[in-house]
Amino acid sequence: MVRTVWTKTLRDQRRALGWWSLGFVLTVFMYAAFWPNVHANAAQFNQYIERMPAAIKNMMGGANFGTPEGYLQTELFSFLGPVLLLVYAIGAGARSIAGEEEAGTLDLLLSTPLARLRVLLNKFGAMLSATLYLAMLTWLALMVLGPLYELHLPLGGPVAATLNLFLLALAFGAVALLVGTATGSKGAAVGVSSGLAVVTFVLNTLAPSVDALKPFRFLTPFHYYSAHQPITNGFNGIDILVLFGISLIALLLALATFERRDLAT
Amino acid sequence: MADVIVADGLTKSYGKRRGVIDLSFSVQPGEVFGYLGPNGAGKTTTIRTMLDFIRPTNGRVSVFGLDSRADSIEIHRRSGYLPGERALYERLTGVEFLAHFAALRGDVDWRFVLGLGERFDCDLNARIRSLSHGNKQKIGLIQAFMHRPELLILDEPTQGLDPLVQQEFHQLVEEVRAEGRTIFLSSHVMPEVERLCDRVGIIREGRLIAVEDIGDLKARALRTLEIHFAQPVPPSAFSRLPGVRDVEQHGDTLRLTVAGRLDPIVKAAGQFEVVDLASHEPSLEDVFLAFYGKGEKGAG
Repeated sequence: MVRTVWTKTLRDQRRALGWWSLGFVLTVFMYAAFWPNVHANAAQFNQYIERMPAAIKNMMGGANFGTPEGYLQTELFSFLGPVLLLVYAIGAGARSIAGEEEAGTLDLLLSTPLARLRVLLNKFGAMLSATLYLAMLTWLALMVLGPLYELHLPLGGPVAATLNLFLLALAFGAVALLVGTATGSKGAAVGVSSGLAVVTFVLNTLAPSVDALKPFRFLTPFHYYSAHQPITNGFNGIDILVLFGISLIALLLALATFERRDLAT
Repeated sequence: MADVIVADGLTKSYGKRRGVIDLSFSVQPGEVFGYLGPNGAGKTTTIRTMLDFIRPTNGRVSVFGLDSRADSIEIHRRSGYLPGERALYERLTGVEFLAHFAALRGDVDWRFVLGLGERFDCDLNARIRSLSHGNKQKIGLIQAFMHRPELLILDEPTQGLDPLVQQEFHQLVEEVRAEGRTIFLSSHVMPEVERLCDRVGIIREGRLIAVEDIGDLKARALRTLEIHFAQPVPPSAFSRLPGVRDVEQHGDTLRLTVAGRLDPIVKAAGQFEVVDLASHEPSLEDVFLAFYGKGEKGAG
């Protein structure tokens, strides 16, 4: 159970992960339970949204309450889903190295014959697997709980949307891991990465409707997360590559800084 | 045999904060080397450089003839380490913690680990968070000794240990010495270094001021001798004796600062009626005083 740094890190989180699991399942349950009502009044909802400012409409992911996909894109995948999974991934990324360093356990861990590179890869792996688990659980809850409320979904779309959700959270988690590894400060890691998440989220919301920002819409990870509407349109190779690329670059930079710097006592 | 640890002009600067400056020393195989200095002198900095947690600004340190930077993994494999800051994984039980480190290291005889647990009378099934300070110390020590490393690097190993455990620890040190393995041990307590070590390096304000055989060091150390007489005795009766550095009079009592043997003083005191006589172990400050001469300010 605690043979590697990877499994030990996951084990440390097992209780927290239990609560997170409950949170995701309840969130999905809530949206599924609202569906019959929303579906019955879809026309009114759509009219209501039509009258909203463009930026709000963008934020809600284009919104079509007439179909299960449109409803979930607007509700689960445009706001609460990413917020929850980002909070989890950013926390896990920030704790990876900076958490051990602040707790004073990093010296001991690195006094074993494990290279810094290996410790960091183990920590990244733990964050990746826990984030992937929560994303998959969300998908599973959707497929199991949805039909109880007439929320019938095709197989492909939700998988593509969940994959993007996972990759988006992983990207911000990797940025948190990078900042934490470079500075040794959990606070800096959480602050910088959640600040970046808010800024890029707002940019993604405003860019399509504000001319001055339009050229910058490609700079936000949220663009690759949702512009393509994966729940309706399925997988998009470029989105996947860009989102995973962000994680990979952040991981490589983290490795480079970690190898070079002095550890704090 | 080649030296186990060689520091060569080792310097670590931290901007304004003091690090260590131009350290050169070597530790021989099979010896227990004490690294003595007050808190903040640079002991932990030296140790953390050996283990590649921090990197030298200048100079180098090698362990087993291997470079601390290039070959840190091999050095870690062959060393055991007790950190000065005893932070363990509080959520794990003792067994889980030790099993984790045994798995990370590989090549650990689990029966030996359990044996150490028994020797230290340590409850390994309790969660570390719930353990007393002393019990956490034990687990840290078991972790350092459990793979029977060629070299043990122990940062203030007995700080906060209760006397019984301290005794067990001393015995463990003797065993390691008998097996020809090497110990590098930092401390700010002179009597402990005196008891455990063959040689001692003294560090003060980041500089190594002496590397001495323990016997030589004791001979040079200043100790305080308090003699309570039946009547006031003039300080002049003692101030010119060999080894006496200072005499203070407090009523019937004389407080003498002495370097080296006490014989001349005891003989001189025999001329008067002695009520009580107390000799104090040389403190670290006294040792430093011996190196810096009487009257230097800021010693220790």
